[in-house]
Amino acid sequence: MAVVALDTICKRYPGGSEKAVDSVSFTVADGEFMVLLGPSGCGKSTTLRMIAGLESISSGTIAIDGDRMNGVPAKNRDIAMVFQSYALYPHMTVRDNLGFGLKRRQTDRAEVKRRVEEVAASIGLTDYLGRKPHALSGGQRQRVALGRAIVRDPKVFLFDEPLSNLDAALRVSTRAELVRLHRALTATMIYVTHDQVEAMTMGDRVCIMSEGRIAQIGRPMDVYMHPASTFVARFLGNPPMNLMEGAATETGLRVNDAAVPVATILNSGSAVTVGVRPEDLVPTDKADNALFSGQVTGIEPLGAETLVHVDARDGSPPIIVRGPREVAARLDETIHLACDPAMIRLFDAQTGIAISSKELA
Amino acid sequence: MATARPSSVFISPASLKMGALVVFIALYTAYSSGPFVWVAMMSLRTTTEIAADPYALPWPLHWEKFASAWTDSNYDAYFVNSVTVVLAAVAILTVIGGMAAHCFARYRFRFRGVLYFVIFSTIIFPPQVTVIGLFQILVEYGLYNSRVGLVLVYVSIQLPITIYILEAFFARIPNDLFDAARIDGYSEWSIFWRIALPVALPAISTTIILNTILLWNEFLYAVVLITEDDKRTLPLGVLRFMGDQLEDVGMIATGLMIAIVPVVLIYVFFSERLIQGMTAGAVK
Repeated sequence: MAVVALDTICKRYPGGSEKAVDSVSFTVADGEFMVLLGPSGCGKSTTLRMIAGLESISSGTIAIDGDRMNGVPAKNRDIAMVFQSYALYPHMTVRDNLGFGLKRRQTDRAEVKRRVEEVAASIGLTDYLGRKPHALSGGQRQRVALGRAIVRDPKVFLFDEPLSNLDAALRVSTRAELVRLHRALTATMIYVTHDQVEAMTMGDRVCIMSEGRIAQIGRPMDVYMHPASTFVARFLGNPPMNLMEGAATETGLRVNDAAVPVATILNSGSAVTVGVRPEDLVPTDKADNALFSGQVTGIEPLGAETLVHVDARDGSPPIIVRGPREVAARLDETIHLACDPAMIRLFDAQTGIAISSKELA
Repeated sequence: MATARPSSVFISPASLKMGALVVFIALYTAYSSGPFVWVAMMSLRTTTEIAADPYALPWPLHWEKFASAWTDSNYDAYFVNSVTVVLAAVAILTVIGGMAAHCFARYRFRFRGVLYFVIFSTIIFPPQVTVIGLFQILVEYGLYNSRVGLVLVYVSIQLPITIYILEAFFARIPNDLFDAARIDGYSEWSIFWRIALPVALPAISTTIILNTILLWNEFLYAVVLITEDDKRTLPLGVLRFMGDQLEDVGMIATGLMIAIVPVVLIYVFFSERLIQGMTAGAVK
């Protein structure tokens, strides 16, 4: 049980010109599941490693339960970490792997044995306690890595892309298992991933990072519905949010040829980036009121849904529409797309930062 | 042979290849084991017998030559000296070499590259270059003609190659393993003993075997730095049978066998380990 607070922490590697982590601040509440999400090289793993004490902090402070952790070695922070590579000790059996951290802290051998067996049973590894890691499957190794964290009953759990090495089916079940685990343990967890599905499904909150900085923090659906920048809009969601050029008018917006009744604080005539999620675009007959018109260049039936690629052939980026299983659109035909004005998101054309908007009328 | 019908008379190309290989290996084995067999035969014959016919079979078997070498020619002392010196040197080499290799592989510190270069570059000096200097140093520190001095010299000449072999292996151990141990609550010191060393065991045993064999056979430094008969190691034992006028070839062979047998035993029992360590792949 712990509160983890990061206050403007920075990381600069010796010889590096750019900061790997730049003024990152957030607080993870007691029992919260926080996901750090971002593309590779965005600083999310470095941030996690600084919380773990495996990486020094260039500036700023990290506190766990109000205690300043800067300079406290990893071994004294009472945290547990699950690595992408699992990092199981290859020369030890599953039993020894699970008990290795406990033995350090607990002198009572019987208690160590009891805890190890209890955790092994809870993650279905009882029959494998005598095996060494090389004799286990990928999924089993992953569970040992997980068990090694659970058995310690630490203040904070840290996960560094723990599911990336699993195959797709196992990833889905392990994801659910982790969520269940979080609920059962009510522990503070910080989880690093580049997989937005993991972020959306597991996190109480998501912290999206880009180039060492925080791009946005919020509950997954809030971040999805109201991205703070075009970076977040594009990074979250698959396919990503469609971005179009537009301009503010007296009555709202003009996007392509359509007048959209959205109130903005923008001066008439100023350029704006308009974002619409693929699932919010619907085909319309009314060409003059269409947000976007173009030729269908691709239809991708995914089973549950169908993605339709639409290209205006005027140099602007193509648009992707998420439709139901059966779509009326045919390849090469021209279609018109409209959208509920409430679902339109606006971003500054220069900076890409979100502009607050609300529907007229 | 184009019209040859399948028949047991004809030998298939595969078995022909196999046969050629067997013949080659047999010849090579005979070639390489020849000297060893010859010394083994001579070790059981007297010098007079050898002088009469150097290549004759050993008959009758003079086993008493071994007893005589052991008791009358001080080979018991040589053997004990060799075992002590080699064991001590190898133990120190393994611990210090392991620690140094772990540091070079794991930590980034100032002058790491320079230090590594300085240590490793010493292997370019042939022993003939350093032996006089070492002699001077040992005399100055009162270590000349002492087993402790010899152990220290052995450690210093084998340390670079030991570090080199171990560093390459340690560097391949994934860093996550050490991070995991740190998070599990262990200090850098216990991580070295509980994680790095056990995981690197194949490489460690390679260096142990390699150093044992090399130092067991070492002659040059031993002959220069040890003069007292009671402190000599096995390779110097032959000096016992070499006079100005006469060489007791038969006893030299017996002495050699006493020195060779432990090495052969090490090869027989550990050769697989040795190859394993040399060719060991990534740690999984």
